[in-house]
Amino acid sequence: MIKPFPNTRDDINRFYTFTWLAMFLALITGIEIVIIYIPAPYWLVASSLVFLSAIKFLAVIWWFMHLKWDKIFCTILFMTGLILAGGIAAALLAIFYFDPHEPTYDDDMMQGPPIIEHVANV
Amino acid sequence: MPMQNEGSSAKVITEERESKPVGLARAFKRPTATTGLVGWLTTVDHKKIGIMYGVAALFFLIVGGIEALLIRMQLAVPNSELISAQLYNELFTMHGTTMIFLAVMPLGAAFFNYIIPLQIGARDVAFPRLNAFSLWTFLAGGIFINTGWILNMLPAIDKAVPKIGWFGYANLTSAEFSGIGTDFWVFGLQILGIASIVAALNFIVTIINMRAPGMTMMRVPLFSWMVLVTSFLIILAFPAITIALACLMMDRLFGTGFYEPVFGGQPILWQHLFWIFGHPEVYILILPAMGIVSEALPTFSRKPLFGYAIIVFSGVIIGVLGFAVWAHHMFTTGLSTIAKTAFALATMAIAVPTGVKIFNWIGTIWGGQIRFTTPMIFALGFIWMFMIGGFSGIMHAAAPADGQQHDTYFVVAHFHYVLIGGSLFALFTGMYYWIPKVSGKMFSEKLGKWVFWTMFAGFNITFFPQHFLGLGGMPRRTYQYDADMGLNTWNMVSTIGAFILGIGILLFFYHLVMMLRKGAPSGNDPWDGRTLEWSISSPPPEYNFAAVPMVTSRDEYWARKMIPEKKKLIENEKPEKSIHMPSPSWFPMIVSIGILIGAYGMAFLKSGYSFVGLGTLFWPIVGLLIITAGIYGWAFEGPGGYHLHPEEEEGSGGYRKKEPSDKSK
Amino acid sequence: MSQAVATHDTHEEHGEHPTCTGIPNKKMFMWAFLASDCMFFGCLIATHMVYRISPPPGSPDLQGILDIEIVSISTFLLLMSSLMMALSVHAIGKNNLKSFRRCILATVGMGMGFLLIQSYEWYHFVHEYDLTLTSSLFGSTFYTLTGTHKIHVIIGIIWLMTYYFYSFSGKMDHKSELDVEVAGLYWHFVDIVWIVIFTVVFLLEFVDM
Repeated sequence: MIKPFPNTRDDINRFYTFTWLAMFLALITGIEIVIIYIPAPYWLVASSLVFLSAIKFLAVIWWFMHLKWDKIFCTILFMTGLILAGGIAAALLAIFYFDPHEPTYDDDMMQGPPIIEHVANV
Repeated sequence: MPMQNEGSSAKVITEERESKPVGLARAFKRPTATTGLVGWLTTVDHKKIGIMYGVAALFFLIVGGIEALLIRMQLAVPNSELISAQLYNELFTMHGTTMIFLAVMPLGAAFFNYIIPLQIGARDVAFPRLNAFSLWTFLAGGIFINTGWILNMLPAIDKAVPKIGWFGYANLTSAEFSGIGTDFWVFGLQILGIASIVAALNFIVTIINMRAPGMTMMRVPLFSWMVLVTSFLIILAFPAITIALACLMMDRLFGTGFYEPVFGGQPILWQHLFWIFGHPEVYILILPAMGIVSEALPTFSRKPLFGYAIIVFSGVIIGVLGFAVWAHHMFTTGLSTIAKTAFALATMAIAVPTGVKIFNWIGTIWGGQIRFTTPMIFALGFIWMFMIGGFSGIMHAAAPADGQQHDTYFVVAHFHYVLIGGSLFALFTGMYYWIPKVSGKMFSEKLGKWVFWTMFAGFNITFFPQHFLGLGGMPRRTYQYDADMGLNTWNMVSTIGAFILGIGILLFFYHLVMMLRKGAPSGNDPWDGRTLEWSISSPPPEYNFAAVPMVTSRDEYWARKMIPEKKKLIENEKPEKSIHMPSPSWFPMIVSIGILIGAYGMAFLKSGYSFVGLGTLFWPIVGLLIITAGIYGWAFEGPGGYHLHPEEEEGSGGYRKKEPSDKSK
Repeated sequence: MSQAVATHDTHEEHGEHPTCTGIPNKKMFMWAFLASDCMFFGCLIATHMVYRISPPPGSPDLQGILDIEIVSISTFLLLMSSLMMALSVHAIGKNNLKSFRRCILATVGMGMGFLLIQSYEWYHFVHEYDLTLTSSLFGSTFYTLTGTHKIHVIIGIIWLMTYYFYSFSGKMDHKSELDVEVAGLYWHFVDIVWIVIFTVVFLLEFVDM
């Protein structure tokens, strides 16, 4: 049976970091649930929600995923994907928000979706 | 040449099993053969994998070429009925899909595999088994997506070839309008996406983590740099099409409405997702080509690459901007003025780093001692032809002008100038440049020049007239055109040109075979090369470098040949007594076979055919089980390994005395 | 901090080849994969949001359907499983197999709890509100998005359970830290994707324009 290494001061610190972080994340989640019921303007509530979840997101990657203790290149690598994904998603949403391509609906059509049969030999 | 093939005389002396196979792995005992069929099927050697990539890509180049010739034959004369309209649609769909995903990308991947570890002074890629997995998965995708041609011959199955264009615009792809061919296309691209992403992840780690000591990022050869940028583009662009295809699969197999207007779905969303992938894909095809040319030009001009750093940064900027221009494929879909302006400006901005590169290439050959070898004239042809494609590209960047050119033969001419005149010419540069290293044989320059001039003439005769056809109003993908539209002459010219181009490619294959059969030995350094791959024997030994080279400058091998002090440094590099090599493995191929089986099951799920368990979830589950078993076998088998012992006289640091440089004369 | 760096730079002693950057190959591979996965989920979430920006007529009333309490519990479970995952990586690095097994089991248990609650939510949607994959565009995007996330969770559970069982083989010790850490990175990523989904798909629906 292999013996565990003894815990150092640093290990105990890290244990507390992780535990406090988890409590902090739970707390932010709680705050998020509360603020959706606050009768404030949409932009304010929506942007605070985005802000709070961004904090949660970054906290998890910074501490739980060890970016704080790792080489900076790991952060750069991941952030490349994250920023690009965020940018493209934002651009896509902006395009659809400002130039909606909504089809013109007529009432008969929207009675309910017709059942589309997969036809092999069209 | 006495130097040739020295490496293979090294003997396998010890063989060790680092981890005992457990569980399932026992059923597939670790293969030890490194030659013969089993040796090829289970190989994890990046050089063998690269060769297999190359052979498969050249095969698909012929397939796609035949498809192209059939298209051109149909269009040679007005109102032709040589082939049916359906077959025509199938041909242009499969021509585009084959050439992009099965010919140009894997031909690039062949060079990634073969050359990168040699250029950066590594013994293999970071994950050798994963590399084998990429190869087999690519092959599975290639076989899968072409299955329709064979299925079409069966009486029971009809329309098994996709006929939706390589872009598969919704709602041509909806279940109402297309048959099982579309399912083959959806899952085929999905498989090829897996292969590309895994390979790209592997090369990112390899290039960043496996460089020889002393090789800083600013000493990495330019081809390796461009492959690094390309790999980032692959891992960041392919997820977009994965999602687009997954949504399409949900629509077709499970009745959702992502792209179905009757559900409120918007077909335009497909276009956005597709081009978020599709435009970076264009740079995935061209950046490795630019890297190859940046290797060949300095070698044959006997000058260092002009403006190395700015070429690297231009490549990176092209990669980044490549993600911000996708909607220029969609200028005619009714985007708002602001969106059009933004995408038009971003598109024009991409011309700047591209132009920077072109000026740097010209700067490289300026005042050099130019040798017009076959790879060099292909590289020069690349610069010229790629520039023509680039100019017509800038014409499309202006949204109002694009409204006139969109979906005409002008666009067809543009992207063939970029993809044949650009990518393919550069890949031919690469083939002629590196094939002496790969095969250890030298080709005849005379025939090589014939190949170039035939291809060059054929290519221009085919595609230059298409500019006129497009501006004259000939739409893309048209099956027929009327005789009185003024399109007859140039279409005939274009078809004749296509056959000349075809003859050029055939001549290349003849040249290749002649070289492999009768070529004179090439020696280690036939071109008087600059980078590390020329410092080892041709073909390289299994372990590449007997002693891992200490890199002290950008053009390391050139510096070693030219600077006396560096030669002394090298004498300190002693070949290692024992080199650890990863063991071959069956599991990469097993996982790929599982993917293939699962994909067949999924494609037939809603096809209405129900023989041998197709049309049910039976085969997808079988595929999933094989994949799972394969992954577990893979994981528990471990990397394994054995030791090779290079002979003492192998030379220090892989360095050998300079040989007479130009074998071709 | 400097001490922490020292304890974490010991991968080379753990049988890994030295690399140019000092980042082990497997870890760099996983981070690059996660960057790729960001694009994957970015596009999927964007697809969902595009159809929420302009919902077609006949879309269900989401405030009446979505149940914030249930989703909050499952979110909480996933967050706590991330804590247990971080602790299990730490435990294996300290050669503490007993603690490692407990933490992994807790991680997997909470992951399964998340799956169960989410499956209950799906069941609830289908049976109470007739919201299916094909009943409306919201159904299509919602089930595809959350289903893709679920597949990620299931793969994570299988991966972690493999380590749990493998730890009895006597072949795991502090040298396995890198392998467990890489699996952990994947698990945490599944968690942060859910953080985004929780905000975008659930919470924002409750904020009135």
